[in-house]
Amino acid sequence: MNAYHSFLDYLEETPTIIQVVWFSSVIFLLLILVLVLYLKYLRSHLRQNERIESVYNKKFESNLITYLYSGNEDEEITAEQLLIINRLKKNTADPFKRKVLISTLLKLRNEISGEMARSIQNLYIQTGLLNYAIAKLKSKNWELIAKGINELTQFHIKEVHDEIIQFINHPKNEVRKEVQLYSVNLFNFKGLSFLNIIETKLSEWDQIQLLEVLQKFGEQQTFDVKPWLQSSNDSVISFALKLTEIYNQFDAIEELIALLNYPDEKIRIEAIQVLNYFTIVEAKSILKDNFHSVREIEQIAVFKMMANVYELEDENFILENIVHPNFEIKLRALKILKDINIENFNINKQIVTNTEFHKIVNFIETN
Amino acid sequence: MSEMKNIVLAEDNSLLSLLLKLRLEKEGYKLLIAEDGKKAVELIEQHQPELILTDIMMPFISGLELISHVRNKLDSKTPIIVFSSAGQEEIVLKAFNLGATDFMSKPISPNELVTRIKRMLK
Repeated sequence: MNAYHSFLDYLEETPTIIQVVWFSSVIFLLLILVLVLYLKYLRSHLRQNERIESVYNKKFESNLITYLYSGNEDEEITAEQLLIINRLKKNTADPFKRKVLISTLLKLRNEISGEMARSIQNLYIQTGLLNYAIAKLKSKNWELIAKGINELTQFHIKEVHDEIIQFINHPKNEVRKEVQLYSVNLFNFKGLSFLNIIETKLSEWDQIQLLEVLQKFGEQQTFDVKPWLQSSNDSVISFALKLTEIYNQFDAIEELIALLNYPDEKIRIEAIQVLNYFTIVEAKSILKDNFHSVREIEQIAVFKMMANVYELEDENFILENIVHPNFEIKLRALKILKDINIENFNINKQIVTNTEFHKIVNFIETN
Repeated sequence: MSEMKNIVLAEDNSLLSLLLKLRLEKEGYKLLIAEDGKKAVELIEQHQPELILTDIMMPFISGLELISHVRNKLDSKTPIIVFSSAGQEEIVLKAFNLGATDFMSKPISPNELVTRIKRMLK
């Protein structure tokens, strides 16, 4: 008691700043104590959950294996399978058990194919898990919608296509991405039909993911890229240009050439790159006509193409650009000139006095 | 009665391992399961199996390291089937260069696996 009183006396006598320091120290100490206790509780709670999850995991795994090996060749539900379905059904009402059951089914669904994969899908439907996923689509929470679509994709549920495609222009990118992946994963190239109705931007990342999925289905595919090359959505055109190049859609040349006059510079450049890939000589006249009205970045793309498709008749156009202020254009123009008319190349070598020009000439002559 | 042929399966998905174990035991093979590459090496050295099934991505020792160990360190010609996933084409080529016998891409068809095993071990 004495110590306590002398401490109080000490506090009363000390300056205010010291009192504040003491007070905040006590507050922080209490706060740390509370946080440590909470952390301890959280950790034990998580560990307990892990233990419960592991128990249910084992139980569901065993049920799943028994279910798979109780099937008959006609793929009809046997009495033993029905028993397991009913047993599992009872667990689906609890969100925690439902989550564990879904993860157990997916653990095997993604690893095997054939009749067993179909059997797992059937179990997913029979246990009512499908209905829970469909219910998520009706949620107001976008995260739940995205999760629902993702789950339906993983279980290959094609029957809900009409419900899912409605989210293709959802305000949240995560939901849109899941719809796109659902469509392509389950319907392959036919699933790309969402490109006809998508009004929002298809990000570069979305495009890469779609291309990665499409890659699984092989290169010999028939689909019509033309409508997407004429889309009012720039990102759809950009994606269609990638598809045109990767899947050699040679039939779309007319649409590609039309894109050379497209208002967006990025699309024009991408179109030039694809035309260059196909070495379409017919595109040259438009490129030459537009050359002076476009920015340098596009002019470089034009010259990259010219390097592959030049002809004798292009000499004047090339000559106009051997003294272009841009190094890359100048270099490519001089290279082409040397190839199509070495005499003219030598004459110009004498006329032009610019040092950089001569360095490029030297480089071309020695390489 | 002929002795059951030993097969070592190196696969970290316990459920898939269990499924394949039951399927292969039904066909008369004894499946020894390793949940990682390290355990697989131990099982191979201990049991000298007739066939090895291995996933590519595994904890501790990868499928590629496992193949290399079997072919170079143990100097064994035991057939090895590699399980690969989509997008692992280059790794599969590396596996073949290291001495893999065959590969199957995931998702695996258990029936097809049994057919391949029967063909290899006949």
